[in-house]
Amino acid sequence: MAVTPPQPLLTLRRVAKNFGGVRALRGVDFDLHAGEVHALLGENGAGKSTLIKVATGAHTPDSGEIIVGGRSLSGLTPALAQQLGIACIYQQPALFPDLTVAENIGLRLEHGRALRRIDWPARRTQAATLLVRVGATIAPDAEVGTLSMPEQQLVEIACAVGAGARIVIMDEPTAALTQREQERLFTVVRELRAAGTGVIYISHRLEEIFALADRVTVLRDGESVGTHPVAAMDQAALIKLMVGREVSQLYPPAESPPGDVVLALQNTGCAAGGVRDVSLEVRAGEVLGLAGLVGAGRTELARVLFGITPADAGEIRLNGQVVTIASPPEAIARGIAYVPEDRRRHGVILEMPIAQNMTMAIHSRLFPGAWLRDGAERTLALDYVRDLAVKCAGCDAPGGSLSGGNQQKVSLARWLATKPRVLILDEPTQGVDVGAKSEIHKIIRRLAKEGLAVIMISSDLPEVLGMSDRIGVMRGGTLTAVLPGGSDAHVVMATALGGVT
Amino acid sequence: MSIAGKKLTGSAPAEPRPSGSWALQLLFRHETLLLLVLVVEWLLFYHYGTTTNRRGLVVGFGTLDRQFDILRHSCEIGLLALALTPIILTAGIDLSVGSLLGLCAILFGKLWHDGGLSIATAASLTLVIGAGAGGLNATLITALRLPPLIVTLGTYSLFRGLAEAITHGAVTYTDFPDSFLFLGQERWLGLPTQAWLFLLVAVAMWLLVHRTVFGRSFRAIGFSPEGARYAGLPVERRVALGYVLAGLIAALAAIIYTARLGQAKADAGTGYELFAITAVVLGGTSIFGGTGSITGTLLGVAAIAVLRSGLATLPVVLRLNAAEEMSGLLTGALLIVALAGSVLPKILSSLGARRQAG
Repeated sequence: MAVTPPQPLLTLRRVAKNFGGVRALRGVDFDLHAGEVHALLGENGAGKSTLIKVATGAHTPDSGEIIVGGRSLSGLTPALAQQLGIACIYQQPALFPDLTVAENIGLRLEHGRALRRIDWPARRTQAATLLVRVGATIAPDAEVGTLSMPEQQLVEIACAVGAGARIVIMDEPTAALTQREQERLFTVVRELRAAGTGVIYISHRLEEIFALADRVTVLRDGESVGTHPVAAMDQAALIKLMVGREVSQLYPPAESPPGDVVLALQNTGCAAGGVRDVSLEVRAGEVLGLAGLVGAGRTELARVLFGITPADAGEIRLNGQVVTIASPPEAIARGIAYVPEDRRRHGVILEMPIAQNMTMAIHSRLFPGAWLRDGAERTLALDYVRDLAVKCAGCDAPGGSLSGGNQQKVSLARWLATKPRVLILDEPTQGVDVGAKSEIHKIIRRLAKEGLAVIMISSDLPEVLGMSDRIGVMRGGTLTAVLPGGSDAHVVMATALGGVT
Repeated sequence: MSIAGKKLTGSAPAEPRPSGSWALQLLFRHETLLLLVLVVEWLLFYHYGTTTNRRGLVVGFGTLDRQFDILRHSCEIGLLALALTPIILTAGIDLSVGSLLGLCAILFGKLWHDGGLSIATAASLTLVIGAGAGGLNATLITALRLPPLIVTLGTYSLFRGLAEAITHGAVTYTDFPDSFLFLGQERWLGLPTQAWLFLLVAVAMWLLVHRTVFGRSFRAIGFSPEGARYAGLPVERRVALGYVLAGLIAALAAIIYTARLGQAKADAGTGYELFAITAVVLGGTSIFGGTGSITGTLLGVAAIAVLRSGLATLPVVLRLNAAEEMSGLLTGALLIVALAGSVLPKILSSLGARRQAG
């Protein structure tokens, strides 16, 4: 592995990419050699996916250079990337479930005219050969829909091998795998490496990186903070690289001690939502941060508490009373409010005026007998516009005309209007500019002071550390630890990743 | 946050009108343009469709009788269009209303004629059955989460098939009492009797759609069903209400239809659903849900009714003998032009945005 061939298979030089105002990549250098496994590591939103999409031609970088096999490419497209031998295996295999394995492989590998005869025996033989090469025991005639997730991944890898891919990118391939399936995948990856293929391997599981990778590049906030041989690193050093920055001191401090327990969960679970065995208490006047990786089950837990996917196991107590929450209207009636993560799809109805958005969850209270009262609605909306400092052309302006931060305030106003006892905020400052972010933090702190029990889901580690009185950490659909506020960033990250303490 | 004693002017954030004067805004509203089309259409028919016969009497489009006739003939399709407006606002569709009209007409006739019930009892029962049939659509759509297009395509055949099975395709119920025919054939307080019922339903639907939380919910669901769900709206119950109301109103239309023709038959209302949908869409209600108004639907109904009736008067005056063909052709053209007109600004702006981006 230490042998460095003269020319890398793939080099990215000073690659930058912006989305609107968000700088996803800020001049990243990256290279991949033949016969190595190069791990890519970073927090949620550090820029891993964007980097991969640049390398596969799905995104065109704003600046920087992509060099494949010594050739500098100005316009890399997905089709060109495929021709150059770049293959990407995603977490969710992109195969046709109703076609057989052989047909799926054939569709990927055979190029031809529309009206050509299909050589079925050759297609089967090809599929069988490739499947043997990747160590899979799958019948070429099996329908892909009947295969397990790891088997489908092997079919994807077989496609990559069949296409003669020299560069194979794997995006969290083990996320859905059991230990044994994982071992088998590792064997395949090692064989690819032995055959001279370069593998870019993305994973959140540090132990996998130590087991498999030769080098590791850590991304943070769209920048590369270093490429190191894995042999020279340990887990603590990697976590330090990922978290890096100092926790900002700009968060408003807690002002009052928490009150009584408002919400208590006992072994709460929901099979459909992928949440199991969560036990948790939240007090009035407290901000409970929920940390964890994307897919750890935080949003899913919020959806259980808000009645979108009702709980089917355990117990939920509100102010000491056991309750069921079977639907969002029921959750509202019980004083639970949920400001969702996806503002544009769930938080605000973009086509409707700000005032109508703000009153949507309190129809029955504001409009007795179902008759609209424009005056009352307007008064309430103007109050919230002023109180939360929503920047808008007026409360008749459609929600879609506002910036992200102001949409978030409208969504927040809708739920404050319900006068909740428990407020669940899901990524309240994601994609919000710095100014609005600190305003939202102040509002959250003020609400806690007024006696709300606040659950704040956030993937922004400094935010979780700075805002939370206590920090719950979720992993694999359940709560794995509750840490005190002001915990060390490295400890929180290590708990979220699992394994080390 | 104190609400008491707050002045809305002065300290409140500035509330400028989005752009232009309100008069200009009103002019470019879909309803205003449609009203203009309606007036031009009416004047053209008045001019070309009216003449005097050999005995010096005015005949054709420009007579009061003809105008009342238009009103009388548009009541049933108008009712169906009113019923469809809330459904289309939720981005749904109900193709079964025309067939349900037929089924309800037959059941009403059978209940009165074979069942020996009074007209009032038979009518009440028919309304209940109509609402129940709407409830069947609602259940299939909200509880089983089947697409409205498929569900109502199914009940479209089912309801018509039931009507034909009951009558074996041959029986028609006639000889209704004059007191009942008064509803469909006479005038009351100057207007065709059924026009009063139509007006009543129109006002009720206007209030429902524009002045209650129900209408607000229909729009929210039409714009974003997921968004409405996350806002805690009872999405299924609201959607169900739309289909149940449509069934009820289709039953009312069936009773009026029977009174107008003096007979109840299985093919009553065939194809009405398409005219009603055309009127709703012509009236500016988006087939994708969210935007639309009852006023627009009424204007859409009027535009189609005047067009069809006006064309029918042309043969008398201009000796044109293609009224039926022309009316289909022109209704279609009107709809396509209206739809293209309503999406054109969006297409132009997105093209502009793409040019800027590229």
